[in-house]
Amino acid sequence: MATATYPPPPPYYRLYKDYSQNPKSAPEPPPPIEGTYVCFGSNYTTDDVLPTLEEQGVRQLYPKGPNIDFKKELRSLNRELQLHILELADVLVERPSQYARRVEEISLIFKNLHHLLNSLRPHQARATLIHILELQIQRRKQAVEDIKRRREEARKLLKESIATLDGN
Amino acid sequence: MDIISQLQEQVNTIAALAFNTFGTLQRDAHPVKLSPNYPDPPPPSNPTEDPATAAGNVSEQPKLMTAALVKAAKQFDALVAALPPAEGGEEVQLKRIAELQAENDAVGQELQRQLEAAEKELKEVQELFGQATDNCLNLKRPD
Repeated sequence: MATATYPPPPPYYRLYKDYSQNPKSAPEPPPPIEGTYVCFGSNYTTDDVLPTLEEQGVRQLYPKGPNIDFKKELRSLNRELQLHILELADVLVERPSQYARRVEEISLIFKNLHHLLNSLRPHQARATLIHILELQIQRRKQAVEDIKRRREEARKLLKESIATLDGN
Repeated sequence: MDIISQLQEQVNTIAALAFNTFGTLQRDAHPVKLSPNYPDPPPPSNPTEDPATAAGNVSEQPKLMTAALVKAAKQFDALVAALPPAEGGEEVQLKRIAELQAENDAVGQELQRQLEAAEKELKEVQELFGQATDNCLNLKRPD
């Protein structure tokens, strides 16, 4: 079995010969890419946004608007799903040739459910960030208190030691 | 696992249960009688030959499977109820993040100041301690 060696490193390592003496003599790393870029023949975008359902050609069952009540919509979608499953069971008993439409509706409900859950992710990310910032503030305040306390203790110790030394 | 991932897993579980239910029912159902003239098919010779129908009888399986489906749906509802309340919208969150960042910077600077003062004091004490020990050593007469 023929194995290939790893490709050689890119040749610009020679430009960094004097990097340890003079960091400015070597070129800067390339700036981060903005907009769209091509990777292995396909296009990627740097703007990570969740495409709306209309862009994917899927009908949106829950109401649009600035603030969606996620819990209510999730619960109502769940109920719709259960009803549609029952409907499918009925159709299979009575008119088995008409299953396709019911199956389509069920998959539509699933797509809506997943899209709703995905749109909760940015909200979750911001909430996580808030939580982390609060924790960090709390830890920093704690550290400030600790340092103040230790300085006071050290000062007290010094005073006591001066007093004991002067007593001699 | 965080709550949203659990919700997504639950949705996938409900989907899997639904199509397993329909698939099993379709596979194990009795064939439909096309006309009353046709004779009934011979009954299965030995129930123990067919472990699928012996284990969960054709009438039991739908009950079990639908019970599982309903349980999964109820669990989904429970998970939805466990979601943290959605306070405000995007702008409220962004404002809060900006506030917290400002506070974080202020506390960070205070911490930096305290740290520098403490390090300065430490250096002073170390210097004085060095001087005191030097004096001590110099005052000692070698006997």
